Amino acid sequence: MLSRAQLLEPLARHRTDEVVVTTMSVTRPWGRLSSHDLDFGSADSAMGHTADLALGIALARPDRRVVCLNGDGSMLMTLGTLATAVACAAENYVVIVVDNGSYEITGNQPVPGAGRLDFAALARGAGFPRAFRFDDPEEFAAAVPDLLRAPGPTLVDVRVEAGHEGPISRTAKEQARYLRPSLADWSRSFRDALAST
Amino acid sequence: MDRLASVLATLEAEGVTHVLGIPDNTSGPLFDALLTHPAIRLVIVTREGEAFAMASGLWLGGARPLVVVQNTGFLESGDALRGTAGRMGAPIPFLVTGRGYAKMAAAGVDRSTERTRDLLVRADVDSVALLTEPTLDAWAIPWEACGTGRDPAPAIAALLSRANELDRPCALLLTTGLA
Repeated sequence: MLSRAQLLEPLARHRTDEVVVTTMSVTRPWGRLSSHDLDFGSADSAMGHTADLALGIALARPDRRVVCLNGDGSMLMTLGTLATAVACAAENYVVIVVDNGSYEITGNQPVPGAGRLDFAALARGAGFPRAFRFDDPEEFAAAVPDLLRAPGPTLVDVRVEAGHEGPISRTAKEQARYLRPSLADWSRSFRDALAST
Repeated sequence: MDRLASVLATLEAEGVTHVLGIPDNTSGPLFDALLTHPAIRLVIVTREGEAFAMASGLWLGGARPLVVVQNTGFLESGDALRGTAGRMGAPIPFLVTGRGYAKMAAAGVDRSTERTRDLLVRADVDSVALLTEPTLDAWAIPWEACGTGRDPAPAIAALLSRANELDRPCALLLTTGLA
């Protein structure tokens, strides 16, 4: 089992020019590690649709790797996206499922199938050529460069300890830069930043 | 030029890069034509809400997507449409093909008819047609209708322009055939 830091710090260390899309319990922690113009916090947004949104970015910009830090509850809401990603042959798409077994934002109520679900197996069943499961911090940290670079689509199921992140808001007081503006304003600055690369 | 060819020419002229959705009997010919289109990429999704979120991501990446869903799937898409394209203020145009409108007309019912329990359960009325337009209004979607006898190609061109002008998702309710 990984801590939140053991999941995010290796990703932040090896991230170069990838788009990173976050949601739910990793939104704030990622925003404390990164203030990149190509971070997109899918917060104050649609329930469960972050993986779809990230896949759309990946299709629009096949030259650019797109990493989606998704929740396990969120992934369960849109499992069909796994089939769509394979049908689209989205080689630049990496979805990392933050598998903490719970709806952390609302107080860690268990997701259906908590502790029994294997998202890597689900991804392989959908046709993902690369699907992995990690519950050891050192093995995960060692694998990150390959996870970020090799052609996919790639799904990474990471067993993570449940934490205590509360509901996400968008205010000027947020430490995470991408949570200070409205979703509409950040969308435009993100879009401009991506267009300029 | 037939209707389908006109629609395809409009999409090409307007720079549409991706069409996303799930086919129905009205949109099926368009999906068939796009399967092998050299410039516009067809993305068939697993559920309609997925199409709106993906289209929002495509827009973030600089693409020009068009969503095509049946009114049944539009009703499924509420939170995806609200939470992605709506909250982002993204100019996502979408076609809503209208199931149930012929039945509604045959039954002598229109959008002004009170939607009572007895009406909603009638076997000769498809309730999705009764609920589509009020739902577009309730979700604050600017929309227009393209019904029988109207050429869909210029209506689609107007939809694409309107979404850009208003900088928000806009709909065209299509109750006439595309082919």
